[in-house]
Amino acid sequence: MKVRPRIPVLVLASLALLPVARAADGQLTLPDFKELEGKASESVNITLDSSLIALATRFLDAGKPNDAAVRQAIGGVRGIYVRNFTFDTNFAYPKEEVDQVRKQLSLPDWQPLVHVHSQKDHNDVDIYVCIEQGKASGLAIIASEPRQFTIVNIVGSIDLQKLHALEGSFGIPKVSLEDKK
Amino acid sequence: MTIDLEKQLRDALRPAAPPEGFAERIAARIEAVRLRRRRLSPPFVWVPAALAASLVLGFVALHQWELRREQQQGLQARRELIEALRVTGEKLDLAYRGVSDASRPANPDDAGT
Repeated sequence: MKVRPRIPVLVLASLALLPVARAADGQLTLPDFKELEGKASESVNITLDSSLIALATRFLDAGKPNDAAVRQAIGGVRGIYVRNFTFDTNFAYPKEEVDQVRKQLSLPDWQPLVHVHSQKDHNDVDIYVCIEQGKASGLAIIASEPRQFTIVNIVGSIDLQKLHALEGSFGIPKVSLEDKK
Repeated sequence: MTIDLEKQLRDALRPAAPPEGFAERIAARIEAVRLRRRRLSPPFVWVPAALAASLVLGFVALHQWELRREQQQGLQARRELIEALRVTGEKLDLAYRGVSDASRPANPDDAGT
């Protein structure tokens, strides 16, 4: 396995410490992935702009701990865009469309945070953060797995420590932000 | 001449009995007019009331429909938000596991030395 972390192992945790961003950008232009959607056995296409996030927040029950934690985690988020495709066969997705997105991430505002390449599992996960005027204004995750391709773009700032508090709830897996002993 | 005029007037204005059935025909006509008025008047009285009631019902139905639509959209947005956080958490976990595996020493005996 080759790992090229730009920042030490606890980078994910450090991201949580970045101040809440109010910068305008941090949003990627995602292709429509129509071809990919046709080939995928399952696909998730989520586009939540600020008004839909506000609407969703109204339907989170502040009295329920899980819902309250979600509210806190997305406090600084202005947009969430998720494209997730699952395939029946390995590597069924074209690289060109992924490259279209990667090209946008090569702009100076986007800083690569983590690049994980697992030769054993054939996984690639890239995490980028958009920094504007010293503040995080966006997060991008590109995950290529043999039978799954995912792009996540969060506009604004998400508190990963608070997302961590949601682990085990709503089907959110346990994300360990601290070094295991 | 005066006497003649008087006689002529008296003859002309002599009381005469009404034709047979005159009173019944008058009464029947009055009743018919009354009935017609009764038949015609209710719709005109109820039209504005019905219109107003329809408008109120329309507004209430529209309001209910908008509330329901907003609730459906809100619940859908909530579901999508949770799903987005689930996918994000899943991929962060994948990255973490990769980083964690790589930073783990190949030989466990090396750990902490």
